[in-house]
Amino acid sequence: MTVAIETRALSKRYGPTAALAGLDLKIEPGEVFGLIGPNGAGKTTAMRLMLDIIRPSSGSARVLGKAPREGGAQLRRRIGFLPGELRLEGRARAGELLEHFARISGPVAPGAITQLAERLGLDLSRPAGKLSKGNKQKVGLVQAFMHRPELLILDEPTSGLDPLVQQEFLAMVREASEAGQTVFLSSHVLSEIEQAADRVGILHRGKLIRLGRLEELRAGRQRRVRASVATADGLQGAMAGLERVRDVRLDERGGETQLSLRIEGEVDQLIKALARFEVRDLLIEEPELEDAVIGFYRGEEA
Amino acid sequence: MNLFRRELRESRPGLVGWILGLAAAVLLYMPFYPSVGGSELMETYVEMFPPEVSSVFGLDMMATGAGYAQASYFGLMGFLLLAIAAIGWGSRSIAGAEESGALELTLAHGVTRWQVLLEAGLALLVRIAVLSAVGSLLILALNGPAELELEPVNLLAVTVALFLLAGLVGIAALVGGALSGRRSVATGLGAITAVAAYVLDAVADMATVPWLAGLSPYHWAFGQDPITTGFDAGGLLLLLGLMLVLMAVGGWRFDRRDVGT
Repeated sequence: MTVAIETRALSKRYGPTAALAGLDLKIEPGEVFGLIGPNGAGKTTAMRLMLDIIRPSSGSARVLGKAPREGGAQLRRRIGFLPGELRLEGRARAGELLEHFARISGPVAPGAITQLAERLGLDLSRPAGKLSKGNKQKVGLVQAFMHRPELLILDEPTSGLDPLVQQEFLAMVREASEAGQTVFLSSHVLSEIEQAADRVGILHRGKLIRLGRLEELRAGRQRRVRASVATADGLQGAMAGLERVRDVRLDERGGETQLSLRIEGEVDQLIKALARFEVRDLLIEEPELEDAVIGFYRGEEA
Repeated sequence: MNLFRRELRESRPGLVGWILGLAAAVLLYMPFYPSVGGSELMETYVEMFPPEVSSVFGLDMMATGAGYAQASYFGLMGFLLLAIAAIGWGSRSIAGAEESGALELTLAHGVTRWQVLLEAGLALLVRIAVLSAVGSLLILALNGPAELELEPVNLLAVTVALFLLAGLVGIAALVGGALSGRRSVATGLGAITAVAAYVLDAVADMATVPWLAGLSPYHWAFGQDPITTGFDAGGLLLLLGLMLVLMAVGGWRFDRRDVGT
């Protein structure tokens, strides 16, 4: 089977700044791949290059076995794309707009639009230009999924969606993947797509700084931990004895000790160490992507 | 032709507005021919101003119905209104969609850039054709009542000339967008085409530098006075030819450049 997406040293420069600096990526058919990175990291640039909306300064990309430029309109019919900044305008109703997109993309099965709209809770009779951000995003998702494309390229697909619709979207991604469709999606927050993605790449300033299966990546992530402890006796010592814990701070407040720290990877040791104290409150934060990136750079500099 | 149809559908309210505006302009000028153009008042005006001024504003032509219609509508108000409409539509089409971000989504589908440009151009020309036809049909209706005494064939000839001239202005704006993706550039290129066409013709006339007129699309359209002499194939072909050249250059560049950055 042909590789779904393969890029070799794919680069895009705007004057002196490199939006994308030598991206090497290989995505297999049926895979769900998440590209993570802060805004401006190059995620959108990478996706636009794959759709031939912009052209690379150097390097090359092959999408479904074809170079985006040569593949042209025929190739794009086999792709479903959701742009990061979706702009829907005009007086046409959401349903009419979707039918328009259906006519200029791959063949859409009868009833597919209504079915997807019902699933996401989208009212097709409202003018597209007047929809809320979340509902516009639903229109964008419907037009990306409706022709059951071999490849879905989704830029920040969950932005603006409420949690219930996000869950529905994740289910759609899983189904697509089970049906053999490849999904390439991006987000600036790992937590939004970690339930969907098999493999994740972290993009920072145009460079892929990490690439791996989700579990591998999770291991390297840092979390912030906060705890309220009744007495501070021996706490500092107990924390100092732990590996992969840093930035330990203790503050006396209202007769309690507030503990805050960062931990990398497994939390098991920390929990066991804390169990010896009278813990009144404990908060282990969802790991931030930014922390992962910072963690990586610290490692690189050291 | 899906892009063509969508473009027409989306601009229908605007088109209706322009039709009303153009109709108002025709109804404001044409019925007054018997009391203005054909009257002694006009002769007084012509004598009052230096011949160059009379010539620029077409005052010297206003003594006949054809001259009056040419000087007031085809060469002035009609041209002005159609050019403004054409520049608006032409700059909104590609440049407007690109600035808003809507073009990115269109191009991500199964369409080519050439197709986007050609269908936008066609939709633009159809709207300008509708406007040109509406204006001239009204004039035809007023031909008798306003004593214009226009030959229908010549009226058709000057209508086609006006259509191609305004079409060229609109295509220039559209191509400005295809080249740059910026509305300011699109509007600028359209406006420059319209103004340069008019000014070159006027200056050539006033300063008696006939070769300057040869560069003016306005002169190509109206130089042989189609409203009295009928179709001028040479001028019309020049307008059409320049339009095609602009489209070719625009399409060539549009196909090669980055969109939306």
